[in-house]
Amino acid sequence: MTTDRPSHRSPREPVAPAAPRKPTPGSGRESGPTPGPTPGPASGPGLGVFDKDLLDRCISCGFCLPACPTYTLTGQEPSSPRGRITLMRALESGDLAPDDPTLAEESSFCLGCRACEPVCPAGVRYGALLEQWRDHQWRGRDRPLIARLLMALVSRPALLRLQGLVRRHARPGRRPGAGARAGTGAPQATRRDAPEAASSRPAEPVSLMLGCVERGLYPAVSRAVRTLRPEVDVPPGQGCCGALHAHNGDSAAGAELAHALGERLPGTIVTTAGGCAAHLAHHLGRGRVRELSEYLELTGHRPAGRVTVDGRPARVALQDSCHLRNGLGVTRPPREAIAAVAEYVELPNAGDCCGAAGTYSMLRPADSRAVLAPKLAAIEAADVDYVVAVNPGCLRQLRQGLRRGGSRVRALHLAELLALAAAGEAGGSGGAGKDRGEPEAPAD
Amino acid sequence: MTVGTDPPGSLADDLAGLVGREHVRVDDGALTAYARDATPLYTARPHAVVLPGSTDEVAAVLRYATDRGVPVVPRGAGSNLCAATVPLSGGIVMALTRLNRVLEVSPAELLARVQTGVTTAALSDAAARQGLLYAPDPGSRTVSTVGGNVATCAGGLRGLKYGVTRNHVLGLEAVLPTGEVVRTGGRLWKDVAGYDLTRLLTGSEGTLAVITEVTVGLLPAPEETGTGVAYFDSLADASRAVAAVIASGVLPATLEFLDRKCVVAVEEFAGLGLRRDAGALLLFGDDGPTGAVAGTLARIGEVCADAGSPEVTLAEDVARSEALLAARRCSLPALSRLAPLTILEDATVPRHRLAEMVDRIDDIAARHDLMIATFGHAGDGNLHPTCVLDPDDGAAVERSHKAFAEIFAAAIELDGTITGEHGVGAAKLPYLADRIGNDQVALLRRIKRAFDPAGILNPGKLGS
Repeated sequence: MTTDRPSHRSPREPVAPAAPRKPTPGSGRESGPTPGPTPGPASGPGLGVFDKDLLDRCISCGFCLPACPTYTLTGQEPSSPRGRITLMRALESGDLAPDDPTLAEESSFCLGCRACEPVCPAGVRYGALLEQWRDHQWRGRDRPLIARLLMALVSRPALLRLQGLVRRHARPGRRPGAGARAGTGAPQATRRDAPEAASSRPAEPVSLMLGCVERGLYPAVSRAVRTLRPEVDVPPGQGCCGALHAHNGDSAAGAELAHALGERLPGTIVTTAGGCAAHLAHHLGRGRVRELSEYLELTGHRPAGRVTVDGRPARVALQDSCHLRNGLGVTRPPREAIAAVAEYVELPNAGDCCGAAGTYSMLRPADSRAVLAPKLAAIEAADVDYVVAVNPGCLRQLRQGLRRGGSRVRALHLAELLALAAAGEAGGSGGAGKDRGEPEAPAD
Repeated sequence: MTVGTDPPGSLADDLAGLVGREHVRVDDGALTAYARDATPLYTARPHAVVLPGSTDEVAAVLRYATDRGVPVVPRGAGSNLCAATVPLSGGIVMALTRLNRVLEVSPAELLARVQTGVTTAALSDAAARQGLLYAPDPGSRTVSTVGGNVATCAGGLRGLKYGVTRNHVLGLEAVLPTGEVVRTGGRLWKDVAGYDLTRLLTGSEGTLAVITEVTVGLLPAPEETGTGVAYFDSLADASRAVAAVIASGVLPATLEFLDRKCVVAVEEFAGLGLRRDAGALLLFGDDGPTGAVAGTLARIGEVCADAGSPEVTLAEDVARSEALLAARRCSLPALSRLAPLTILEDATVPRHRLAEMVDRIDDIAARHDLMIATFGHAGDGNLHPTCVLDPDDGAAVERSHKAFAEIFAAAIELDGTITGEHGVGAAKLPYLADRIGNDQVALLRRIKRAFDPAGILNPGKLGS
């Protein structure tokens, strides 16, 4: 912490103009004005915390600033993606000590929503950099206790299976007759994405991923998917996809779990969690992974029925999943699925993070709520009946936020909305409807 | 969100007393983050970062700094490209991002009043909601602040028809280093009472006063826009086309160009279906009342064809326009991916000498064995030679310094200037005398002293 005052400058003392474009060498940690090593692309070997080519990508233009929710909260450079990359570079070069408190704070304050990626002209893969950063910051005892507990919990398939007994998510196990031919005993799907669909060979299998959090918190989601598309298999013995680990400082376990799950789930993996979709796509290849709305569109599924409120079409908004939107660029399919069964209403900030951000809402509840606040205001202003999420974390965040505010708007997962429409149910408005499987959310 | 604690009586403690502790940062991390802006190869850490929340707080910090002789560098979003907001002498970085309220938009008076930290895009959006246009549109509009735009006199893609920031500023509220608050200009288009201090502060790069509030003029929003693209075998042909378009009595809102290297880089990056064999690409656009734009575009297209363009494409609907504009928007992204270090520079020559200037740049790049591609605003003669290189290659970095020195000299030789819209900052200061002469440099210093006798505001930049 430098506290020395800068030397007093006499009024007339001329200041020499800087030499054109020549960084002055100097040590970055002495007090006073310290023209240090350029925090631009690294030169020379660093600590090896980051992949050099990832870190070199940033041109510090600042286009990411307005997209960043935490910069929007503070207006302070270190809380922006560009500022954080400057911090990462300083960590890598030894300009900042590995235990610097600002490094710890900012690596934790970041939501990891990746809103900075689509607006970056230089194509910086910020999400990958953040994973590497947290690998460094949250080693061993430095990892928040809640994150450690959750990671331990979801790494045990036996515990996950136990949830199946308690919560009634879609029953694992292959459908009778599944694997023989796609569509046997089920609505025939046209698989436009599979060239062999027209041939007599059995189409490749489609596996529904239950997710480690969703199966426990929102078992109705996987049940809804099965009613919509009975042809999806639910293979037993599914573990966690590892997104939780990758985002909480253990990217090695994150990769390992993703590949293990890829082994257990044959064929196309359909997921109802945007965060899992992005993580799996990164490790297993984009082609293997389909988020639900994407899968429905690719297979030519036309959502059936209407969701009505008091005899009129329900007004339904969408909350994008950050990783689905910013990581995989999927924005249109969920909107079109909603529009097929209800009156779709676009929130002005639908693409902004809701503050759930994986473990973030538990680790930093106050910041999480501050990020959520404008979202809730927009939902109230939009006069909607439902707001739809495509990720369990967002669903939990929205339900809690809406309940806290005494809102009449209900949050649903997209699968639930589509199942509701298909069942021809007319949703009432308002209230926390326990009647349709809305669980008691854990306390903050 | 202050990290750490400070001993009483320190700079941090004093500043906390003026603006509140949560708006002062003295931690190493924050000082590192504020040690640079968007300019590569320039960095210097301040002693403290302060984020005032009102004009009064700005005044209090400036009075304190003048009293103690502590340098103060005002800063918006730090998106400038000439190191204008790098605190070369340390001291205090005054980030004005908290002053981010749009105070009023008046359709009756055709003006808007905003705090200095409002982004240009937010001002444009607020105007658009009332059916009005804020004409300046720098490439950084989504991130850069109106105060920063005024401080550097930012330009943009519509300069040919609408001018640059200075043509739209009606009045300013600014705080002098002594803490005195001045209100220059006001709400009137016609007002010549006294020296035009509004113009003087516009482009003064935080060396004379700290701008806290800006009043800008607005225009009725045009009803429609359209875009066209023309390929040319050479930039010389494209240059002739630009001159012919303007000579024909058409003043389009936008006339942008990409040189041969840019076209190839953009095509490799984005695969837009551009002709890789093109010598240059000219992008033109206009706005106006319903029905008027199509005619203008057709006329420009004809002039381009007459000037030898083998292929002209017009887009009258927004979606198709966006596709054409993508080529221009992809220039920086495409180039920045070619190497880790991107130096985006800025110079202007008279419109008719554009091709000559790009030839000179190509020669300079070849002689120094560098990749320098050029794109920019053909209608204004404003070029952005962009060098991409490996920062680990010290010799190449050294050669890039020499190359840019030669590029600025070439611009001056062709009756041009060393910066068209980015500003002088620290990066261009060594070339300033070449452009305006030593006598004028001395005059700038005298002006600077009149405003800032203690020399605390942004030392090492204009007027130093």
